Amino acid sequence: MMTTPRQATSPRRRTLIALGLACLIGGATSSLPAHALDLDQLAAQLASVPMVHGKFVQEKHLRGLPKPLLSEGRFVLARARGLLWLMDTPVKQDYRIVPTGIEQRTPDGWKAIRQQAGLAQQSRLFTAVLQGDRTALERDFTLSLGTPATGWQLDLAPKSAMLKQIFTRITITGAQHVERIEMSETQGDRTVVRMMGNNASQPASPQEKEDLGL
Amino acid sequence: MVSERLALRAFLLLVVVMLATAAWQWRGAAPVSANLLELLPDEMPSLVEQQAVTRIEEPLNRELLVLVGHADRDQVLKLAETLQAQWAQQPIFDKVQWRFQPDLDAVRKQLLDGRLAYLPPADAAQLILDPHDFVHARASELQNPFGATSPVAAQDDWLGLSARILKGLINPTRMQTDLGTGALVSEYDGKYWTLLRGHTRVNAFDLQVPAQAAELVRQARSQVAADKGELLATGGMLYAAAASDQATREMSLMGSIATAGSLFLLLGSFRRWRAVMVMIPVAAGVLSGVVVCVAIFGKIHVLTLVLGMSLTGVTIDYAMHYLSKSFTLRPWNVRRALALVLPGLTLSMLTSSLGYLTLAWAPFPALRQIAIFSMASLAGAYLCAVCLLPPLLKGFKPAGHSPLLDVARFLVRSLRRIRRLRSYTSLALLLLLGLGGILMLHVQDDLRQWVAPSRALQEEARQVSVITGYQPTSQFFLVTGATENEVLQRQAALSARLERARTAGGLQGYRSVDQLVSPVERQQALAATLTTLPADAMAPLAALGVPDASLHEEIARLGALPAVTPSQALAGPLGEAWRPLWLQTPDGFAGLTSLQGRVGSAELAALAKDLPGVKLVDRLGSLSELFSSTRQTASWLMGAACLVMGALLCFYFGLRDGLHILAVPVTSIVLTLGVLGYTGQPLTLFVLFGLILVLTIGVDYAIFMFESISGRSTTLAGVILDAGTTLLSFGLLALSDTPAVRSFGLAVGLGITFCFLLSPWTGQHHARRATATVLARPKTL
Repeated sequence: MMTTPRQATSPRRRTLIALGLACLIGGATSSLPAHALDLDQLAAQLASVPMVHGKFVQEKHLRGLPKPLLSEGRFVLARARGLLWLMDTPVKQDYRIVPTGIEQRTPDGWKAIRQQAGLAQQSRLFTAVLQGDRTALERDFTLSLGTPATGWQLDLAPKSAMLKQIFTRITITGAQHVERIEMSETQGDRTVVRMMGNNASQPASPQEKEDLGL
Repeated sequence: MVSERLALRAFLLLVVVMLATAAWQWRGAAPVSANLLELLPDEMPSLVEQQAVTRIEEPLNRELLVLVGHADRDQVLKLAETLQAQWAQQPIFDKVQWRFQPDLDAVRKQLLDGRLAYLPPADAAQLILDPHDFVHARASELQNPFGATSPVAAQDDWLGLSARILKGLINPTRMQTDLGTGALVSEYDGKYWTLLRGHTRVNAFDLQVPAQAAELVRQARSQVAADKGELLATGGMLYAAAASDQATREMSLMGSIATAGSLFLLLGSFRRWRAVMVMIPVAAGVLSGVVVCVAIFGKIHVLTLVLGMSLTGVTIDYAMHYLSKSFTLRPWNVRRALALVLPGLTLSMLTSSLGYLTLAWAPFPALRQIAIFSMASLAGAYLCAVCLLPPLLKGFKPAGHSPLLDVARFLVRSLRRIRRLRSYTSLALLLLLGLGGILMLHVQDDLRQWVAPSRALQEEARQVSVITGYQPTSQFFLVTGATENEVLQRQAALSARLERARTAGGLQGYRSVDQLVSPVERQQALAATLTTLPADAMAPLAALGVPDASLHEEIARLGALPAVTPSQALAGPLGEAWRPLWLQTPDGFAGLTSLQGRVGSAELAALAKDLPGVKLVDRLGSLSELFSSTRQTASWLMGAACLVMGALLCFYFGLRDGLHILAVPVTSIVLTLGVLGYTGQPLTLFVLFGLILVLTIGVDYAIFMFESISGRSTTLAGVILDAGTTLLSFGLLALSDTPAVRSFGLAVGLGITFCFLLSPWTGQHHARRATATVLARPKTL
């Protein structure tokens, strides 16, 4: 595992950083050199697909609960626009993450979820990832890219004292594409998102286009 | 001769002492203040209120709020970081806050221990009335993939009370914390804005601090603009800087016009360079005024300096009185001239001081200061004119001829012709004319009299308050009680009314400790409800898989939580924003309910009505009342001063002549008021203070004209010089941008003009006799 030095001299890179969701794309390029992958290459690789469809399973591991809380559903990621998160269980509820924040579908249309500090931060984190805003990510987190035996692993360690008191670490792993995002909270609770069956060739449906403003 | 030398030595010693004192007083920062709030009456009904006012005004006085805006969020944080680093180096700030990094462990502990005490009333009501809904909402929250991360782990707080508390507490402003940097960020009008708060050291209202703060803001503005950003700033010190800028500008402008004009008058009349020496008492007057003022008040206000500089016109008169005797008194000799005018000079100094003494009566610190400054200044100038100038003017040879004297002679001749008119009749006509105008006068008692803050600053402050949602005002409610809980209950009763006012519009928001922590009774009621929750209320949580044992444990833990007192609540990190709003008093406790956004005083007072222990403190709002009552007091004081002076004059000059002399300033005052009435100018408190001055100066003129030592023409020439210099100084104040000063200048300017025009009226009846005596006197001397 190595820590990438901050590229102070290079112009700001708007390239896509592989974060979770963005990575779902992955499938497209499959030949990852297992030895020397750097952040830029990873970003470029993940950026090469504009739209991804797939299924997700989210597990919330709460201390004091014998079993994790599960939610399942589908997602649609449009790199340029945002992410649709369509939950099927335990209840049907649609969310979307767009540059303005996290919104949920209501009978009256999309409504912003009241942004508390922590939540706003999460939505910004996702947006930074979606837009591949590496500068923004690197301001708040130390990024380290590792290449385990199979695939790769990106670790985000919070830099600020305040973030450290909330997250201990965010880990994204993948091989040909992103398979798992794990957020560990300081209090011992943990969220794991697994993403499967990424389909990079399927076009967006009219409804999806409308929801993402495409 | 001996006494003269003695007087000179004593005076020089005094000057040395004064200069030494001044040097000591000005050794560090200049003891000059520009704080507008310092102008307000400082008398508080109670110590508690005084303390409360200090707490509330602290951020208004000592905080500089700066918003840095940019279309790019990262850029905005970077700009603010740079600015913070630069400003932290500045000696005028003791703290420049940008990042806010609470200690989450301490927050967590406080939340867990006070879950019942801190739960917002609305959430508590929901839990009591509809526990099923409450628990259901909690279960959904836990399920929500994008549910907020809380500093408290789910298993430590299954009901999610701490999340509700945080949601309720999270600032009433529009600013959001950026968890990465700890910066407060707001999005508005397509831009991201982040907040910087500069807190200045004590004595922030030294003249330098506002100026330096304004300069720093100016530099920062251009720096941020260079990066395509925008900067907005507000704070009491910026207003102070603008006010002192304006004062300095006016002071130097009016000071130089007054000085240049006076010099021109002097040189033109005496046609001798040494006549310039009459300016020496002016300098002595300013010196003693400043020294005495700083000695008494610790500092001197800019407004005092502005008005004080205008005193030039009065202090210059002292030396002029005996110098002007050179027009006719031949051979002129400084000692003889002084001996002739000394009684009149002394009387005039005393009556002027008496006039200023009435100013000192007003409950306004600024006016008290002006009064003290003026009295000290007059005394200094008087002593200088009497002790120092005569030796300096020894051997002064007046010019053979003065154009001013020609003017005076012409006037006196014309007056003789006019005198054919029945003088009492014309006096009565003038008084009637004035009274007609007085009937048209309208009174103005509001704050606009004091200051006219710069439009640009006001606009910027408005923008800052829109973006941050933070608009502190100096109005607040003071809630007192015997115990902490009593104060809390009373505040809660007030908050219920304020909440209604807020939803009705007008009031933007408020902050009081009862928003943080509930009264003990409410905490106990909540605990009781929890222990008797319906059996199925917890079903949604159980459905998620939370073991029954955990839920039972949780309820038992909540029911056993000890009650939290305000002092305990405020000691923790959650209480930080409320800490200044709680006071221990000799009789118990006091809570302040601070307000956001300005609301009419009457409306607020109505909200506090019938609530025990609740009092509205509204210094700006109560100012109008105070103005009005002071204006009435001032009118009485002026009447009283008239009577005292009348008595003094009648004692010296006899009943008839005394009243004649008094008629000059009284008629002038009536005419001044009349003119103000006819021209639609308002009657303000400052007009009255100006008129008090007119009374004292007018008496001077009348006395000099009445005595007409060394002839009416000479005396009139002296009075012309006096009035000219006074008009040049006080009259110029009418051009000031500060309404208070302008009002004052207008009254004095008009009043002095009328006094000057009317003064020849006195002494006519015994003019011949007086002239004869004076003409005879030189021969005998």
